[in-house]
This record gives sequence, structure tokens and C-alpha cells, in this order.
Amino acid sequence: MASIARPMLLRQAAAASRLSAAPAGPSLLLKNSARVAAFHATSRRNILPPLPQKVEGGVNDPVPVPPPSPSHGSYHWTFERLVGASLVPLTLTPFAAGSLNPAMDAVLMGLIVIHSHLGLQNIIIDYLPKKRTPKSRKAAMWGLNVATALVALGLYEFETTDVGVTEAIKRVWHA
Amino acid sequence: MIAQRLGTTALRRVTAAPQNAFFTVATQKLTEEDARAMLDAQRLKRPVAPHLEIYDKKQTYFGGSIWQRFTGMGFTGLLYGYSLAYLAAPLVGWHLESASLVAAFGALPVAIKAAAKFVVAWPLVFHAINGVRHVAYDMAWGFNKATIIKSGWYIWGASIVASLGLLLL
Repeated sequence: MASIARPMLLRQAAAASRLSAAPAGPSLLLKNSARVAAFHATSRRNILPPLPQKVEGGVNDPVPVPPPSPSHGSYHWTFERLVGASLVPLTLTPFAAGSLNPAMDAVLMGLIVIHSHLGLQNIIIDYLPKKRTPKSRKAAMWGLNVATALVALGLYEFETTDVGVTEAIKRVWHA
Repeated sequence: MIAQRLGTTALRRVTAAPQNAFFTVATQKLTEEDARAMLDAQRLKRPVAPHLEIYDKKQTYFGGSIWQRFTGMGFTGLLYGYSLAYLAAPLVGWHLESASLVAAFGALPVAIKAAAKFVVAWPLVFHAINGVRHVAYDMAWGFNKATIIKSGWYIWGASIVASLGLLLL
């Protein structure tokens, strides 16, 4: 650690003195940042590049509060929990009963598709903030909608022409 | 450590001592617009906020929380991948019906079958148990740091044991 840290500190100090030795001081900011850099104990590591950003408004503007919308807020949240919680008994049933009848199998798979869709939406919302990447966000959301629709169609095909998902998993498991 | 400490202290003295000739702090008059422009330029250099490296690995989110997302996404990837492939199969000429899957899986060696079953069973059990814990959190049950850590360990243990049990089904 020491052998790594020392040359780094020395380099920073050397850079700082070189900066300050320049006759016409270029900018106060640069000089001060070199001074501050010597105090930082951790190095800068950028794993991901920062997303594009722009400054809007003043420094002391309050954070904008979005208009209240229960269907995007509490109703959505409760719906997500209800879907998740209802999957618990539906997942346990085939273990107890041996399999599911086609109707219950379709219900289970429908709920799993909704649950997956909501989970993927959450991930898109987390990693593609609307404020910084509005276009990628929109593209990802619509791409997800198309993918989910196709997945639902594929599952409908599987449920109607094949043996059903729980039964298929059971057969593969015992293969 | 002492040598490093000495070096650091010396460097700090050199770089930070107010009487140091290299750095003379000078103030300058700025118009309001210039000050704002400087601040804007500085704000645009802010680091990435959810920075992976700054997370403390000993905190609770590595116990269960992030694994909920990993396991969930594993299954979602499997479901989306299989359903889309099943939809495309007649056009491309693949055989993904349950009968061919059963035949293909049955032809594998026992060890590989067991490993594949565990790889599927563990995330399912983990996601299910941990999902119940998350619903409990939403009702403010067990949301205490010591309890979170303890229940996290129980969930890891229970999910491994249960998924090994599923192999015997």
C-alpha cells in the first residue's frame, strides 16, 4: 500500500508545484484543485462513465415535486406486491398437488410475466434516469413492452400446443 | 506504515502550509454570471453517484437485497429467452417442444443433470424466501439491522438446503 501511495502523492505534489511555477497562473480553480488533490486519501475510479447531465435552474432551487399520481405511485406499488405475494401459493401448489391444471398454469405464467415485466421496468428506471437519458429510457421501455408482448404470445403458444409449463418442468426434472 | 505516515505528513506540510511560497491564496472579483458559469462547469464534473466501488461490502444489501434482483433477472432472462425462442422455433427449424427438451436433458450425464438442477433450483428458492422477507419489510417487520443480517444468513442456509432437497424430487 505504502509503495503504491507514496509515488502517487509525490506525483501529485510535483504536479502541484509545476502548476504553481507556471508564470501566468491559468486559473485559480486548477491551482486549488491540485492543492485539494493532495488531501484525498482515495483515488478516483470511474467504472462507468457519468451519464450526460445539464445544469437546470439555480443552486438554491428546491427539488421539483412531481404531481401526485396514485396509478404511478401507491396503487402501482401495492399491485406489484400483490402480484409477488400471490405467486407464493401458486408456486407451492404444484409441489403439493403434483402439477397444475391448464387454467391455473396459465394464471401462474401470466402472473410471472407481469412480475418479470415490473421487475425489468424497475431496473430500467434505476439505471436509465429520465432526466439524464430521456431517449434511451423511452427506447428501453418500449423495447421491453414489445418483448413482453412477444413473450406472452410465445407462452400462449406453449400453453395451448404443448403440455403447460409446470408439467414440462416436471418432465424435464424427472428426465 | 510509519514511513508512509511521515511521507504523507511532510507532503501535507509542503502543499498546505499557509506560509508556503508556492501557493498564495488570492481572491478575485467575479461578476455574478462568471461565478455561475464557474459553478456550472464544476457541477458538470461531479462523479457518478451510484458508484459500485464506494459500497461497503459488509453492509446488508449484499446479503439478500441485490441477490433478489440477480436471481429474478436470471429467471426473467430464461423465461424471455425461452419464450421468444419457442415463438421463433418453427420459422428457424429449432425443436424446443417439451418432448425434445426431455429427451435432450435425459441424455446428459447424471452429474451435469444434478448441477443444472441446482443452478435452477437455488435461485428459485432464494428468490421465493427472500421475496417473502421483502414483503415483510414492506410491512415494517424485521427491519432492524441486526435482524436483517441474521435473517439474511438464515435465508442463504435455508435456500441451499431446500434446493439440495429439490434435487431429490
